Amino acid sequence: MKSAKNVNFLQVNNEIRRLLAGEGVIMLPSSQAYRKLKWTRDHFETKPEEGYFIWVKKQISHPLTTCIAISSPKISQNPRNLIVIEKDVKTEVHSICNTMKKNLYGSHIGHTKVILKEQSTLQMRHFHKWEKGDTVSSSLQFHLEEGAKLSHVYKCSAVPEKLKTELNSFLDSSSSANIETAVLAKKGNINIYDSTFLNGEGSSATMRVRMVADQDSKITSHSKMTANNAGIGHLDCMGLLLSENSSISTVPELINRNKNATLTHEASIGRISQDVLNYLRSRGLTEDEAIDLIVTGFLREAAFYYKGHVLPSKIYM
Amino acid sequence: MIKIENLSVKIHEQNILKGVNLEIREGEIHALLGPNASGKSTLAYAIMGFPEYEVTSGKIWFEGKDITNLPIEERAKLGIALAFQNPPSIKGVTLSALLKTISKQTFNVKDLPVSFSEILEREINVGYSGGERKFSELLQIINLKPSFVIFDEFDAGLDIINLEKLTSVIQDKLICNDVSILLVTHRGNILNFLEPDIAHVMLDGKIVCVSNDWRKIWKTIVRYGYEKCKKCEFPSSKQ
Repeated sequence: MKSAKNVNFLQVNNEIRRLLAGEGVIMLPSSQAYRKLKWTRDHFETKPEEGYFIWVKKQISHPLTTCIAISSPKISQNPRNLIVIEKDVKTEVHSICNTMKKNLYGSHIGHTKVILKEQSTLQMRHFHKWEKGDTVSSSLQFHLEEGAKLSHVYKCSAVPEKLKTELNSFLDSSSSANIETAVLAKKGNINIYDSTFLNGEGSSATMRVRMVADQDSKITSHSKMTANNAGIGHLDCMGLLLSENSSISTVPELINRNKNATLTHEASIGRISQDVLNYLRSRGLTEDEAIDLIVTGFLREAAFYYKGHVLPSKIYM
Repeated sequence: MIKIENLSVKIHEQNILKGVNLEIREGEIHALLGPNASGKSTLAYAIMGFPEYEVTSGKIWFEGKDITNLPIEERAKLGIALAFQNPPSIKGVTLSALLKTISKQTFNVKDLPVSFSEILEREINVGYSGGERKFSELLQIINLKPSFVIFDEFDAGLDIINLEKLTSVIQDKLICNDVSILLVTHRGNILNFLEPDIAHVMLDGKIVCVSNDWRKIWKTIVRYGYEKCKKCEFPSSKQ
């Protein structure tokens, strides 16, 4: 986990330990935002008791980092988060949810809604790391107003026994979204639901899903792209099976309701080729080291390249 | 350095190598010539230890150690390296990430007299040109700091200018450091740049000719083809 002193919002178990917003940013516990800012009530499904509200009103030069962690046994978290990016503002958010020890048997049911106002830009990276006994369900909603731009990466490198992620994006005219999901599952049952709705003319979206299943894991990915207006959308789902007793299912769905829209998808699920393994072994790597390198690269391909730069993922994991 | 004794190898129940003998000493450059499908690459992969290349008889010794049954990575760790003719593509893994993982030495790529350094941040062999593939192979090998390198058809897919540049890197980084080299080639272009001490001709899984005058052998091959080697006419040739 990233050092707590660099974190803008830190919730451990059910307690907020740190809340620090810089200039141009309003940051409150969601419960306070619900109480003080009436307009936020339209965006919370229920009255929130946990989680954060971030309102980015002016351009900021540094990324905002949030962390919601479980550190005690049998904690049940139910954060309701709301992020609002004002018109023309560009910002970057790093969001981390994790458990800090083994055998805590925690429950994390997170809901986050993000509103990108006209011409705003958000780069958001969302990292999860769990232990086997945890139960996790994560739901994200993105609302992109006219001309807004979103780049969202979700990565889970350590899954609980059961994980459900749900991501819904709604795009107004001329807005664009690049949404990437990368999951490495070992002894896990994972369900991924990603949906994007191209509601405005000239909107465009790419959804990429990268899944690696190992050690008796089951991953199912439901990816849906709907064009309600003249937009362009692409789905790209790839899976890598590392063990005989694992499975990956991918269910891509394209729904086009506009004759001027174009939707495409590609999907593949396979195993690591023996030629590639032997090639890397000839460079002195053991088979396990070769697999690690390939898997890291496979997930990184989706999750960690941004403008040609590799993000320093290790500081978050 | 490396000694191959009476090596026979089969792939998918087909006998490819039929009793090959070869010895390369420290710092020597050997050429293995032969037409397509004569067994040259099979010998290269068998030396590297690829599991589908099954040794049915004979031994491979490296620096006095029997490596016939060692796994690939153990041979690599001992100092054996292979530059592939057709290396596989590895999506998602950049060349720089692989180099970082395998490197036993560091040097500045920009110091090399070739201009492929932009491939470092690209995925390995994905969309590489012929020259970029060879550069990538050479870069990996130099980073491994090997004592014996097999170049499998290194001159294939390379234009003459890049072949000259890359062979100058081989000369500077490997040969000048007494690395032993086996050049597997059927075109022979590379021999003009890296003159071998000894040349071997392989036909139908057997080495039919060995000479320390590679030009004489090559002249005959160019003039009459490999068919002529079946009836070797050089008295100095042996095996």
